Amino acid sequence: MDIKPFTDKPIKFMEYDGKPAGDIAALDLTTEQLLVMYRWMVFIRAVDDRGYILVRQGRAGFYAQVAGQEASQVGSALPLTKPDWMYGDHRSQGSQLVKGLKASEWFGHVLGRTLDPTQGRMMPHGSGRRDLHIVPPSSTVGNKITEAVGTAMAQHYRKTKDITITYFGDGATSEGDFHVGLNFAAVYGSPVLFFCQNNQYAISVRLEEQTHTKTIAEKARAYGMEGYFVDGNDILAVYAVTKHCADKARAGGGPSLIEAYTYRYGPHSSADDDTRYRPKGELEMWRTQRDPITRFRAFLTGKKLWDDVKEQKLQDEIKAEVAAALAEAEASPVPEPLTVFDHVYEKLTPQLEAERKELAAELSAS
Amino acid sequence: MATVEVAKKQTYTMVQAIRSALIDEMTRDDNVVTLGEDIGPRGGVFLVTEGLIDMFGKERVIDTPLAELGIIGAGIGMALYGLRPIAEIQFIDFLYPGFDMFVSEAAKLRYRSAGQFSVPMVVRSPYGGGVRGGSYHSQSPEAYYVATPGIKVVVPSNPFDAKGLLIASIRDNDPVLFMEPKKIYRAVKTELPEGPYEVPLGKAAVAREGKHVTIMAYGAMIPTSLEAAAKLEADGVEAEVLDLRTLQPYDSDAILNSVGKTGHAVLVQEAPRIGGFMGEIAAFLAEKAIEHLEGPIVRVTGWDTPFPYALEKAYMPNVERIVRGVKKTLDF
Repeated sequence: MDIKPFTDKPIKFMEYDGKPAGDIAALDLTTEQLLVMYRWMVFIRAVDDRGYILVRQGRAGFYAQVAGQEASQVGSALPLTKPDWMYGDHRSQGSQLVKGLKASEWFGHVLGRTLDPTQGRMMPHGSGRRDLHIVPPSSTVGNKITEAVGTAMAQHYRKTKDITITYFGDGATSEGDFHVGLNFAAVYGSPVLFFCQNNQYAISVRLEEQTHTKTIAEKARAYGMEGYFVDGNDILAVYAVTKHCADKARAGGGPSLIEAYTYRYGPHSSADDDTRYRPKGELEMWRTQRDPITRFRAFLTGKKLWDDVKEQKLQDEIKAEVAAALAEAEASPVPEPLTVFDHVYEKLTPQLEAERKELAAELSAS
Repeated sequence: MATVEVAKKQTYTMVQAIRSALIDEMTRDDNVVTLGEDIGPRGGVFLVTEGLIDMFGKERVIDTPLAELGIIGAGIGMALYGLRPIAEIQFIDFLYPGFDMFVSEAAKLRYRSAGQFSVPMVVRSPYGGGVRGGSYHSQSPEAYYVATPGIKVVVPSNPFDAKGLLIASIRDNDPVLFMEPKKIYRAVKTELPEGPYEVPLGKAAVAREGKHVTIMAYGAMIPTSLEAAAKLEADGVEAEVLDLRTLQPYDSDAILNSVGKTGHAVLVQEAPRIGGFMGEIAAFLAEKAIEHLEGPIVRVTGWDTPFPYALEKAYMPNVERIVRGVKKTLDF
């Protein structure tokens, strides 16, 4: 497969209307794989829509949608294997679900219930699972970049073929972590993928106010690393580029920077008002002309792999799955107050033990 | 006359004791790696890692690019994966570029993941004044780290403790800030037992027994406190010197025992007074030992100023100030 770094235009395998563009046969994807990709995107949008409604209903405190970025989230996570490590950011629940986090666990996290593998310790978008190698994201932008490099250094030290992927947005490329992380990884040749979802806004600040380079991918040159500029709304392209870079890293070829050019439909989060900064018509244009799900559905339809009957069946299935996942989360209790002292350290310190007794007395008195 | 051959035991400075701990632990466990600036062929600017790269190779003795953020961040990523990284920060004053990673990530990942992940990393770093290093090579910033739940803070005061506490820190499953008092890096040489041994974290030690007053300190302030105690002896004052050794979690039992016995507490730290670690100990004593106190709790600390270069002597707590502090509480 011929995937080139540092292209002027985003790498794509489909036109916006779903017509094939490029050597799709070389991707060597089975029909089943194509349908799995589609299902994941539809599923993630359904989970996300439901999650956002929880905030509007006052049942959750915060939500950041991935809507519009499903191709980037799914296409970058599917080439990963089980032992690979994933460092997400505050908008990577789509990739985490593909890596194995259950939708019920995700809803448990959003609602702050014990079904959350992280027991409601973080406001939404901070969940993770050790057994799946999903590290909890941070709210300080960029903090997972150098950690991911450390994990990749360890994978290399342990002579595995495993890799680490770290997700961040366009805004994170202004942080020192980005520079330090790419530099470290290049120096050590670490098997890490720096996956930047350029959705063109860091909350409200547009990319051209964030950086003076034309693309983010080209920044890789400064570190002696390859940078790939990919159409983040084309799941085939995201998959192909990520797979290419993952294979390279597994073979000892070192790190890569991937820029997925995409667009978020929602506000930065449920606490943001995006009407204050988006130009009129921009969101509408992306939604109606560049939607990653509509685009891939058109592609599948063109290949005679999809039709309205299949679509209806899938929508019904997913609706039921999402409802069941949410119900499971809601049935799960909120954490017990005394667990607030657990896991500060491996064992309670004498000071924490004393504080725990204080709270226990307070609770039994009330 | 027959001569008896006495095997000459090797003696160690604190630098050599720390180096010996690294060698023993890296030999024992190949999960232990060390990373930092100039720790390879240079052996570290204080020669703590001298020769280690030849013993263990550059995959385990990792010279890093010059970025403390990266040293701490990469260390965390290694620790999450299952290694036991020891990060060397050349001077603790340079930990600030990695501060966010240390306090927001290393300290909290166990908690945030509800115990799924842990960060068994040690950050070793020389701290403190008395070496004509000025503001960027002399600070005592322990209060920031002690105030961050999830981090342990350890400060040795002699070669024996330095080795045993470092080994315990490396084997501990939580992140540890290991503060090395560089002023006394080479102050004394002592014999050490053969091979690895642990000095448990969270336990203070009585450096000198006494019954009239407790002088509490840690790190480089221990020799100064012992000197003050010797001076006080001439005046008939028997001062106990309690070496706290671990600041987070601190040994509340040992503190209460000692002050319960003496009824007087003089708290010594190099760091500025306001918001300093000894403020916590003072509050703890006021809450838990007020019935034993026979005089005011006295703090002997650095001033609430940045660390001065030319006026270092005026800044640093010294024997005379500690003696005056003791008299202040005894004469109450």
